[in-house]
Amino acid sequence: MSEQNETPVLDVRGEICPYPMLRTNRELDDVRPGVPELRVWTDHPPALSTIPPEAMKRGYGCEISERRPGEWEIHIFNAETAAAG
Amino acid sequence: MTALPASVRTLDRSTAGGLLALVGLAIVYLIALRTDAAWPVFWISGVAFGAICQRSRFCFVAGFRDLFLMRQGRMLRGIIAGLAVATAGFAMIMATVVPNPGSGVLPSDAHILPLGIATVLGGLLFGFGMVLSGGCVSGSLYRMGEGYIGSWVAIGGVLLGLYAMARTWNWWWDNQISSDRISWLPTDLNYTGAIVITFLLLGAAFVAVSWWERRALRGLPTFTIPISSAAPEASEDGNTLGSLARKVFRTEWTPLIGGIALAAVNILIFIRYRPLGVVGELSRWSTDFAANIGAGVGELKGISDIPGCVPRFVEGTWFSDAFMLNAGIIAGAFTAALLAREFRLRVPRGPRRYVQSLAGGVVMGYGAGLGLGCTLGAFFSAIPSLALNGWVYAIALVVGAYAGTAFIRRFP
Repeated sequence: MSEQNETPVLDVRGEICPYPMLRTNRELDDVRPGVPELRVWTDHPPALSTIPPEAMKRGYGCEISERRPGEWEIHIFNAETAAAG
Repeated sequence: MTALPASVRTLDRSTAGGLLALVGLAIVYLIALRTDAAWPVFWISGVAFGAICQRSRFCFVAGFRDLFLMRQGRMLRGIIAGLAVATAGFAMIMATVVPNPGSGVLPSDAHILPLGIATVLGGLLFGFGMVLSGGCVSGSLYRMGEGYIGSWVAIGGVLLGLYAMARTWNWWWDNQISSDRISWLPTDLNYTGAIVITFLLLGAAFVAVSWWERRALRGLPTFTIPISSAAPEASEDGNTLGSLARKVFRTEWTPLIGGIALAAVNILIFIRYRPLGVVGELSRWSTDFAANIGAGVGELKGISDIPGCVPRFVEGTWFSDAFMLNAGIIAGAFTAALLAREFRLRVPRGPRRYVQSLAGGVVMGYGAGLGLGCTLGAFFSAIPSLALNGWVYAIALVVGAYAGTAFIRRFP
């Protein structure tokens, strides 16, 4: 039943602190516990320094890339799986 | 051959818009220069304030809230560092104006304010309101320039809250504020004692924040924020001025640098005029506007005796030095956001966020009127004024922010 090929996307554009971070945490903890990968879309620059530490606390790795001016994607991935595969 | 990706096309538009905005800033500066001696100083200070906040993502709300929400003290440490730098600068300025503080004379423009129930209640309301709306007053001002629609709504709420405050001001003045004491630390402790105490308290706060944070992060490796920009960097053509400009305007500054830079702006504007504060002018906007539509509040008792963030009415014109400061903050953040390619209209998701911004703004506006300032005027400019009211307001802010954090946790 798993959808290995489709990386889930959490779109929090329009949300400001602390909601991008809170919603990402909820996604990782409750909605998709143990998800190997998640892409978070945000247009709130401060979230770039709040989401990664929280994801790292949960053992994930993070990569930030710009989608377009003023909009970013935070790629959250299971660090061990990424290293193995 | 495919079309150019959207990011490349807007990249150019954003930078070009930023350069155009720079020209606009310069034109307003030249007009200000010909109008009034104070205007250009307030304009430049506002622009610098807005640009520094935009680049360092400086946020008083994050400083207080994230301590409880994530046990993160990065922003609060930046605020504390800024307070320390401003304290040193303010002390030098005040010692020049009032060489003998034991005489009971106060430096007239420093933010030494009546201290009482109004200070505590104002700080509590402000702390709660700012967490609810997601930005404090100065923070919402600069985010207006970054394109946050929610911040426009929040400032609307602040204006409403300040109007409600103005309607009740005379009651507060008669029953509380007029009889409140003023406590300036150097009066009893002299400058040396006051500075030593302030530095000790700031140092203790810094250590406490770091300890609190480290306990939460125990066992975790330290890390740097992994930003890898996928956007095509402008070609490195060996133009050192250009690459320096990119470094300054495109990379994020740490809150520590932000706090220290803001303190420098605060010192520079105080040397010639008065410390930073934005609420007095917002209060004037709301009462002036109300008077124009026939809902004036009449005379506000005692405000000419209070320094800092109370409305200052200027006969015959709607523009003033304080107007230049507030407008400069919005314009500075707007320009910096364009140059950093970060400007974007950010529309809140759903009606609930609008209600939150507005309600938080109203609560925060009433608190700012009552507490005689916001996180900027009654805190960031008051502690360096060596005034006890700054510390009391700070503690009330912490408690209010804690309550606000508990509230938004329950209603996400």
